[in-house]
Amino acid sequence: MNVFMIEMKAHRKSLIIWCIAMLLMVGTGMSKYEVFSTSGQSLNEVMSKLPKVVQSIFGIGVFDLSKAGGFYGILFLYLVLMTTIHSAMLGATIISKEERDKTTEFLMVKPISRDKIITAKLIAAFVNILILNIVTSISSMVVVGYYGKGESVTSDIGLLMAGMFILQLIFMVIGTTLAAVSKKPKTAPAVATGILLTAYLLSTTIDINLKLESLKYITPFKYFEAKNLLSSGGFEPVYIILSALIIGVLLSATYLFYRKRDLNV
Amino acid sequence: MNTIEINNLTKTYGKARGITNVSFNVEEGEIFGFIGPNGAGKSTTIRTLLSLIYPTSGSAKIFGKDCIEFGPEIKKEIGYLPSEVFYYDNMKVMDLLNYSASFYKKDCKKRIKELAEIMNLDLNKKIDDLSYGNKKKVGIVQGLLHEPKLIMLDEPTSGLDPLMQQKFFDLLKEENKKGATILFSSHVLSEVQKMCERVAIIKEGKIIKIERISDLKENNYKNFELETLSKIDQNYFNINGVTNLLVKDNSVSFLFKGNINLILQKISVIEIANLWIEEPNLEDVFMHYYEKGE
Repeated sequence: MNVFMIEMKAHRKSLIIWCIAMLLMVGTGMSKYEVFSTSGQSLNEVMSKLPKVVQSIFGIGVFDLSKAGGFYGILFLYLVLMTTIHSAMLGATIISKEERDKTTEFLMVKPISRDKIITAKLIAAFVNILILNIVTSISSMVVVGYYGKGESVTSDIGLLMAGMFILQLIFMVIGTTLAAVSKKPKTAPAVATGILLTAYLLSTTIDINLKLESLKYITPFKYFEAKNLLSSGGFEPVYIILSALIIGVLLSATYLFYRKRDLNV
Repeated sequence: MNTIEINNLTKTYGKARGITNVSFNVEEGEIFGFIGPNGAGKSTTIRTLLSLIYPTSGSAKIFGKDCIEFGPEIKKEIGYLPSEVFYYDNMKVMDLLNYSASFYKKDCKKRIKELAEIMNLDLNKKIDDLSYGNKKKVGIVQGLLHEPKLIMLDEPTSGLDPLMQQKFFDLLKEENKKGATILFSSHVLSEVQKMCERVAIIKEGKIIKIERISDLKENNYKNFELETLSKIDQNYFNINGVTNLLVKDNSVSFLFKGNINLILQKISVIEIANLWIEEPNLEDVFMHYYEKGE
């Protein structure tokens, strides 16, 4: 409990900043919708003139851009990118920071097992990403609701945010695993972000080049895409199973490797 | 009973040397010195005992229990002061000490106050703003606040002024009187000499000697220093038993172990201006151990 409290306090400031960033992102993103929707020209028309490649990246054709809910579908991609970066960095940092700050010799000589320390840190990271998700969800519902003028958006946004939360979890445990495995845990946040960006690039590459379609299982960004979620109205079971597997395996890896590794002091 | 039992502890870092077959015991209630130059393996040994790192082979027991298997349990009764202290910067001293105390199922408030008073430590300052010496004091209070039965100190005095060192040594002696066992690692011999009953000397990862401090000094080593009236041959005193021989102009100094009459006969033959025969300090004896291996 004490380790959990200390971690919550240590990440409080950064969490507040991230929450404000998400609020601004949703606010400014949706304010563009207002500009388009009042300019008289149909956004759908403009977008349909874009190259097919660009269209497929944004999921244009699926979303009805004349509606706030559809416009939000595009914005969602960037919300996911931001919150997953937060999760990956948080996961990597929360495990590696004792070694980075050389506080290992303080914490690890206390009568507490490494497993318990990891558990406390994982719960703290979990609560952090949950708060960021809730803040993003509420601000999305309020802002999209405001521009939507009566459109029913709450359930759609709820579905998207649930998908985003699973992605956040996946990247959080990618971060914790890297920090637990690495002999140079200081580099874990950078490596985690690198993996994230690679996965993101892969997902856009798949959008552009349909021959790579089969690679969609490799990158989590393909699991819960707005264009699929909104059109089908739910998750595909295969991706839920894949996500659960990834999270399960990486969680155990975090414990296993951290238990066995020599700590840097 | 042995508080610490180390059996053939070996730790290798890839090709780099760690420690090799380190074995020694620390008896309950004793102050045990652990000396060797920087990089000899003192910290590696201590960190293995604390299961911060795992041994390549060999094992160690603390309070009769394996130090890795029962790590969290035995750490309830261990206080540790690392050689370099680093803490969570944006905490106040008091917050850090309370955090530290929260791991022990004891009320440590009173002891924190006592220790802070002895060590002259301001509890309301931010750790960020503390000087190195003051951070070290936080480390001392932090290591002792739960009144541990075993205190492990890794080069504890660096950064402390002589007055604080003295207070700290008094504090340790008091804890020792109350029954605490102390493992004191250092490369400063005079402090080990002052504090410890027995000492293990480590060099290049290997224990080269375990001895009582009193034996070390009484080992018939004598420190000779003399001034001659005329220059003498460089090798005049280079006989069996003489080490650390230094001849410079008319002054000669060396360490001698053996039949004292032999050396006195040698001296009686030459004309000397002055002569000192002293108990060697541990430093001299220690250097002697080191040079032998090279």
